[in-house]
Amino acid sequence: MTAVAYDRPSGDFKTSYAADDTIFPTRTSAAFCVAGIVLVCLAPLYLGKYGLSILIQIGYLGIAALGLNILVGFTGQISIGHAVFFGFGAFASAYLNNNFGVPVFFSIPLAGLATTVVGLIFGIPAARLKGLYLAIATLAAQFILQDFFARATWFTGGVAGTPADTLTIFGYAFNSDARYLYVVLAYVVVMYLLATNLMRTRDGRALVAVRDHYLSAEMMGVNLTKYRTMSFGVSSFYAGIGGALYGHYLGFVSVEGFTILFSIQFLAMIIIGGLGSIMGTLLGTAFMVLLPEAMAALAGQLAGSPIDRALGLNEGIAFLREMAIGAVIILFLIFEPDGLAHRWRQIRAYFKLYPYSY
Amino acid sequence: MRITRDVLGFAVAGAALAALAALPAAAQEIPVGHLADYSGPTSDVGTPYGQGVSDTIAYINANGGIGGRKIDAETVDYSYQVPRAVSTYKGWSGRVVAIQGWGTADTEALVAFVGKDKIPYYSASYSAALTDPAGGSKADKPAPYNFFYGPSYSDAARAMVQWAAEDWKRKGGKGKPKYVHMGANHPYPNAPKAAAEEYARELGFEVLPAIQFALTPGDYTAQCLTLKQAGANYAYLGNTAGSNISVLKACHAAGVKVQFLGNVWGMDENAMKAAGAAADGVVFPLRTGAVWNDDVPGMKLMKGISKMSDPSGNAYRAIHYLAGACTVLYMKEAMEWAAGNGGITGENIKKGMESRKNWVPQGSEGVCKPSTWSAKDHRSMLEVDLYRAGVKGSTEASVPELIANGTITMTRIATIQLPRKQEWLGW
Repeated sequence: MTAVAYDRPSGDFKTSYAADDTIFPTRTSAAFCVAGIVLVCLAPLYLGKYGLSILIQIGYLGIAALGLNILVGFTGQISIGHAVFFGFGAFASAYLNNNFGVPVFFSIPLAGLATTVVGLIFGIPAARLKGLYLAIATLAAQFILQDFFARATWFTGGVAGTPADTLTIFGYAFNSDARYLYVVLAYVVVMYLLATNLMRTRDGRALVAVRDHYLSAEMMGVNLTKYRTMSFGVSSFYAGIGGALYGHYLGFVSVEGFTILFSIQFLAMIIIGGLGSIMGTLLGTAFMVLLPEAMAALAGQLAGSPIDRALGLNEGIAFLREMAIGAVIILFLIFEPDGLAHRWRQIRAYFKLYPYSY
Repeated sequence: MRITRDVLGFAVAGAALAALAALPAAAQEIPVGHLADYSGPTSDVGTPYGQGVSDTIAYINANGGIGGRKIDAETVDYSYQVPRAVSTYKGWSGRVVAIQGWGTADTEALVAFVGKDKIPYYSASYSAALTDPAGGSKADKPAPYNFFYGPSYSDAARAMVQWAAEDWKRKGGKGKPKYVHMGANHPYPNAPKAAAEEYARELGFEVLPAIQFALTPGDYTAQCLTLKQAGANYAYLGNTAGSNISVLKACHAAGVKVQFLGNVWGMDENAMKAAGAAADGVVFPLRTGAVWNDDVPGMKLMKGISKMSDPSGNAYRAIHYLAGACTVLYMKEAMEWAAGNGGITGENIKKGMESRKNWVPQGSEGVCKPSTWSAKDHRSMLEVDLYRAGVKGSTEASVPELIANGTITMTRIATIQLPRKQEWLGW
């Protein structure tokens, strides 16, 4: 599960630390990244409303999933309550904007900070607990906050939910998908760069050390309590930012969305994408967002077709979709346990070394 | 970078082609959104209602459409989840001219959106908060583009409270009768809670603390024992049929003697079959003037609509199916009005809805009850028909058989005419 770049040609040795921990190992990889961003920037030209909404969804979920990957993939902790931190960010941003008139531009990062504080509080048990026990502790966070959302009418509007204003900068409202895409894209770039750079610092390496062998890490002088709690904080910050972006995109935040099922989906995203891989997180998120859409399209094609009539599926088609999603995820875990990031590296290596792969 | 440009070029060309191909069809048809719950916690009643909506739209299309234009309905099963409903709505806004919706939480979440985008929204939520088009009432915000067919949850509950007060006198009950609200902590069961409790106090009831039970079926013996201990006489069931059945059965088993008052979605033929003897005696409001086997002129149209998804014509349709059909028929006639008064746009459909009084869609006489929406008041119906569920004997057979042999009966016990009080508007 460790993230090592093992697809470099042999003899590729580094002579400086800077070269060793550069973000982009080759010039092509940097070009690909820039091309990807440009492609997304131009998306409103060639994608319809539907496509744009999917891109935006991948964006804000990807930010939150990256937070979870820092916690699970890089620090080796576990959380099955990520969705409530995502929800807390959404509610906090809407709350700050609705009640104190904080412009949305500032309320989104402020919501991230507020969620960090909440995450740190719920992260305290993480300093002492491991494995299944920690999982149950985070499960408690899930239930406590979910119940808090349903009851704290002053904060969340209670079970009825709360409206969230659109983002406006100097009178320019980001009220359409084509406009909001750039807000999300900007956040994705900043947040992913932040995470990438975090992993290149002493703190980031300490997190990985805690994951790989906490006893050795402690002997080397890594403060376990500090880094485990910090990891929870960072993860919540990402969840909060993702949630706030989601709230202002949808325009309405409801208690119902932030269930344990959603938390599990975040876990699925990072496991499918690749634990401990920054790029894998984005791939996994895209996979989890696109899979239901693809399955829905497939089910739509199937409806009324001869196969449907022969098997008498009718309303069962809607459930076929849900089952297919489950099946695909299981198959994925069997055949690609290291995640999409691993597959991507293999594809890259194949082309790079063609025809003499070794 | 050349790759990027090529991909872009292809994509632009592809999108342009797709747009060209879609244009002629889109100009002809009337786009309408349909949000339904076929798989969520309220799917028990969402399924017959959604079928009623879909079949009626199919029937309209098969019989000349709206002045020759067909309705292009897009049905989305949103599983009763507000975020899904809102994101579906965002995909529809700017494209559809009207929406057939479903639940209270999502409809209330969308009130501001549909008001801004001027899209008439026909909900199957009868929350009183949706009845104030102008603002200024107890409702949080004005809901100018929200419409629903039937008495609001609050008005239906008030009617049942009024009936309960009379029932208490009739039975010679001594002292103050006790009223209790039961339901999930969710916008839908909560909608009529305050209104009904206040009216109950006004009519001399002692109002007990509300009892909670989830929207999904489960073991609600604890709730029934609370009910018994508190000594409630009249209990309002705010959830949909599925979970109400669980409560009725648990209370039946626990020997709780309470007069249950069901919400409009709280009782129907399927629920009576499922609950069996436990459902006997439940009082509930009915939105339509008839049930499936009644002999009224409007049933001919309803049988025709039913044949859209059941060509054999044998299917028995639950009461919610008829309510769904009526809702679409009102939308259809408002669209026809709009077509003759400046074109089918959201704004004109709203005007069409508000232009008539004591209105019954053509051909639905006896089924859809006379309704009036005005620009200042969207309480379309203040006359509430109360029915009593009757279950005699075993409910093993199918619903049509049970109805035919009289095991399951629905008897009208009262028609309550509520006053159109301004202070009752919006809550």
